[in-house]
Amino acid sequence: MKKEYFFQKDGVKTILASLLSIVIGLLAGIIIILIVGLTNDSIVPSSIWDAIRLVVFGVFNKGRDAATGALMFGFNPTFFGNMLFRAMPLILTGLSVAVAYKTGLFNIGAPGQYLAGTCATLFIALSVPTSTIPAWLVWILAFLGGMIAGALWGCIPGLLKALLNINEVIACIMTNWLAASLVTWAFDISNLKNVLEGTKTGYIYKTSTIINDIMVDGVQTISGANIPEGATVLATRGGVVTPKLGLDSIFTGSQVNVGILIAILLAVLFYIIMEKTTLGYQLKACGSNRHAAKYAGIMDKRNIVLSMALAGSLAGAAGSLYALSGNTEFFWTTYQSLPAVGFTGIAVALLAVNNPIGVIFSAMFMSLLNINGQQLTNLTAYNEYITDVIIAVIVYLAAFMLIIKMWISKKKTRPKLASPVVANKSKEVRK
Amino acid sequence: MEERRPETSEYVIEMIHITKEFPGIIANDDITLQLRKGEIHALLGENGAGKSTLMSVLFGLYKPEKGEIRKNGQVVQINDPNDATALHIGMVHQHFKLIDVFTVLDNIILGAEDTKLGFVSKKNARKKVSELSKKYGLKVDLDAKIEDITVGMQQRVEILKMLYRDNEILIFDEPTAVLTPQEIDELMQIMKNLAAEGKSILFISHKLNEIMAVSDRITVLRKGEYVGTVNTADTNKEELSRMMVGRPVQLEVQKKPSEPREVILDVSHFCVPSKLHSRNAVNDVSLQVREGEIVCIAGIDGNGQTDFIYGLTGLEKSNGGSVKVCGQDITHLSVKKRGENMSHIPEDRHKHGLILDFSLEQNMVLQRFMEPEFQNGQFIRFGAVREYTERLIDQFDVRSGQGPITKVRSMSGGNQQKAIVARELDRNKKLIIAVQPTRGLDVGAIEYIHSQLVEQRDEGKAVLLVSLELDEVMSLPDRILVMYEGEIVGEFNPKETTIEELGLYMTGAHRQTKEGVTGE
Repeated sequence: MKKEYFFQKDGVKTILASLLSIVIGLLAGIIIILIVGLTNDSIVPSSIWDAIRLVVFGVFNKGRDAATGALMFGFNPTFFGNMLFRAMPLILTGLSVAVAYKTGLFNIGAPGQYLAGTCATLFIALSVPTSTIPAWLVWILAFLGGMIAGALWGCIPGLLKALLNINEVIACIMTNWLAASLVTWAFDISNLKNVLEGTKTGYIYKTSTIINDIMVDGVQTISGANIPEGATVLATRGGVVTPKLGLDSIFTGSQVNVGILIAILLAVLFYIIMEKTTLGYQLKACGSNRHAAKYAGIMDKRNIVLSMALAGSLAGAAGSLYALSGNTEFFWTTYQSLPAVGFTGIAVALLAVNNPIGVIFSAMFMSLLNINGQQLTNLTAYNEYITDVIIAVIVYLAAFMLIIKMWISKKKTRPKLASPVVANKSKEVRK
Repeated sequence: MEERRPETSEYVIEMIHITKEFPGIIANDDITLQLRKGEIHALLGENGAGKSTLMSVLFGLYKPEKGEIRKNGQVVQINDPNDATALHIGMVHQHFKLIDVFTVLDNIILGAEDTKLGFVSKKNARKKVSELSKKYGLKVDLDAKIEDITVGMQQRVEILKMLYRDNEILIFDEPTAVLTPQEIDELMQIMKNLAAEGKSILFISHKLNEIMAVSDRITVLRKGEYVGTVNTADTNKEELSRMMVGRPVQLEVQKKPSEPREVILDVSHFCVPSKLHSRNAVNDVSLQVREGEIVCIAGIDGNGQTDFIYGLTGLEKSNGGSVKVCGQDITHLSVKKRGENMSHIPEDRHKHGLILDFSLEQNMVLQRFMEPEFQNGQFIRFGAVREYTERLIDQFDVRSGQGPITKVRSMSGGNQQKAIVARELDRNKKLIIAVQPTRGLDVGAIEYIHSQLVEQRDEGKAVLLVSLELDEVMSLPDRILVMYEGEIVGEFNPKETTIEELGLYMTGAHRQTKEGVTGE
C-alpha cells in the first residue's frame, strides 16, 4: 500500500477548497467595506475598522463600551444561540439538496417542499386541540406531518422524472410556485387566518400562542389566553412549542431550541444512510448510472421517487421545525415569493460539496454571516447587504470547487511526484 | 537515425523515447514509434500495454515527461487536440466521442461546420458525407440520432468524421471491434486505398488476423515497454502473440465435445418491439439452450440480437411468446427475479455493466448487495465486500491501480471486462448470457474468457453467447444460430459449416425453413 500524503487526500483537498472560497469571499467583503468607506466622507477610519471586524467576528461582538464607544468582543450567548437557530432550517434544506444531488438529482424544489412542510405543521399545530391531546404529542404529529407533506411534494417531480422522464429541475420549479399558491389558498379558506395579532394582516399566529374556542351567548368564537367573562371554553388549541431543554440558559436571550439538535441528528443519520447502508448504495447507484442499476435488478424508478421523497421530507422538516419554534410568525400570502431558505440550501450544499456532515458546518457559516450582517447594520454606517455579496462570492467559488481542488493538488503534489522515492516505487508497482 | 535531416524524412510522424508516468505506474517507458508516409503501421499490445496512452500523447491529450514528437523530421509541440488537428492527425477513439442527442450529420461536421452568414450550412457537408459514405460503403442514416443507432453504426460515424476532415495521419483505435466480417474486409480495403493515396495509418488492434492482413509494419508494446518493430511479411501470428503476451498463447479454443443435458433456457415464439420502427425488432424467435452447451447467436450488428437479449433479461418489455428458465416462466418477471437463475455479461460494459464512478468493490456486489453475506440489517458489510472483491481480483486476475478501492473508470477496458466476467461467473447461475464478452480485448484476455466460458459449460451451465466476431463464432460455441432481421434463419454445427456459408445467412441471402433452404 502506498502512503497517502496529507494534502493528496481527497477529503482534505475538498475541505481546503471550501475554506479557501470562504476566505476569498470574506476578503471580497473587506475590500468592498474599504472601497465604500474610503470613498464616503461620512465614514471615519475607525468605523471602517469596526465594520471589518464585525463582518468577520460579528458573532463575538458584545456591543459598544458605554464610556469609550469602542467595540467589545467575546462570547456573546445571544448571537451564538441565534446563529444556531438560523442554521437549523439551513442545515435541513442544505441536506435536502445534498441528498438529492448524491443520487443524481438536482432538487431545486426545496422552497416548495419547505412551504408544504410549514403549511402542514401550522395546520396541525393550530387546529388539533391541546386540551384533549397533550401538546408534546401534537408537536410530534405536526413535525411528522410537515415531513410527510414535504416528502409528498418532493414525490411529484420524482414521479414525473421516473415515469415520464421529465427533467426534475423544471418540475421542481413549477411545484415551487404551485406550493406557494396552494398554501395561500389553503390558509385563505381556513379559519386559521383569523388568528391575527393586532393590526397585522396576512400572518399566522405563532404556534406558542394559546387559542381558545369559546361559546359566548350561544355564539362560537375564539379568544386568546384571556377568556371573557361568561364564556364557556370548548377547546384549547396552540401552545405547541419546540422544547429548549436548557439551551436557553446556555445561550441566554437567543431563540435557539432543540430543533438544532434534531437537524444535526438528521444530518448524521443521512450521512449513515448514504454511506453505510444498502439503501444509500442503491440510491447512489441509480444516480450514477440508471442503466446499470436497472441491469442489476435495482428498481430505478422507485429509487428516483424515493430519493426525491427523502429530499422533500428534509426540506419539509426545515419548514416544520422553524414554524414549531413557537416564536416565529408565518406570512401566509406566499404566492408572490418563495422562502429564501430553500434556495440558500443549494448554496449550503454546494459549499459542503454535498457531504451531509459538511452541510452542518456550511449552514452554520451561512447563518453566522447573517448575524454578522445584522451587526453591521446595527452598529456601523454599513448595512447587511455586504454579507450577501460575500455569500455570492463564496457560492460562485464553490461552483469552481473542482478547479480550486486541482490548483491545490498542483501546489502540493507536483514536487512530490517528481521526487525519486515515488519514481522508484512506481517502477516496483509495474514489475 | 541519429543524423540530422531537417527538411525531409522518410517518416511522417516520429515519437522518440516517449515516457509518460501516472501516479504509481509508468504507462509508457521510453517508447519509440516511427510512421512512414503511406504505410499502415499496426500498434499491438495487450490491454494496459500503453497503446492508448501513447496515442493520447500523439493526440495532445497527455503531455509526456520525456521524449519528443517529430513531423516530417521537425520537432513539433502537441499540447492539445487542436494542435493535432492542425497537423492533420485524426483519430477514431476506442470509446466513441459522439453527442447522443445530435444527428449523425451534426456529429460528423461538429467543429468543422460550414457557415453561411453565421448560420450553419449543411448542404455541402451532407453532399460530402454522402459521397464518402457511398465511396467507402460506410452505411449510415445521416438524420438518425446517435442514441437511436447501433454501436456498429456509431463506429462508422466516427470513421466518417475523420474522413470528412481530410486528415493525413489517421489513427484507428480498435476500429473493427464491432464491424461485421464483410464490413471489416471493406474497411481493410479502405485502409489500403487510403494508404495508397499517401495517407499514413496507425492501426491499433489486438486482432492478429487483421493486423497480418492489412499492415506493413508492426510495433509491439508490453506493459508500457517497447518490445520491437517488425515487418509484417517477416513474422507470423504465433510470434506476434508471444511478443505481445510474453509467453506462448493458445490461439485456438481448447474444448471437449459438449454433452448437452436438461433444457435450461426455453424461448418460444418470442417477440420484442422495436424502438426505431413499427415492426418487431425480434420476431417469433424460438430456441433452447441446454446444460453443458454453448449456443451462439451470430449475425450482423443491428439484426435484433441486442433487443433479444434486452427482452430476455428484462431490460425491455417483450410483446409476445414466452421464456422459461429452469422450467420457470420468467416472461413477465422483474430483472431482479430473473437474476436468480441467470447471469448476464452485457454488451455495453459502460452503460449496463459497471457504474464507472463507483469503486471496484462497489461494482462487484452490484446485484448481490442485498444478500445476507453482504448486508447486516440495513447496513453494508464493508469487510465482507472487501474480502469478496479481493478474492475475485485474485481468482480472475483483475488488475487495477489501487485494488478494491480503484474507481472503475480509471481501469483499462480489458480489466473492466474481466471484472464483469468475474462478477457474473462467480454468481454461479444455471444460465449465462454473454454478449460480445471479448469485445475490444486482447488475445491474452480473450483466451482467458473463452476458457472460463468453456469451464462453465463443462460444469453443466447453459451458455448463450452473442457474438459479432466470426473467429469467436466459429471456435467457441457448440451450436450456431444465425439471426437476420430479428429472426433465426439458420442453425449450424460449427464443425460442419464455413464462414462463407454463415455469411450468406447473416446477410439474408439464404434462409432455412421447414421446406428446406431458400435463396439457393
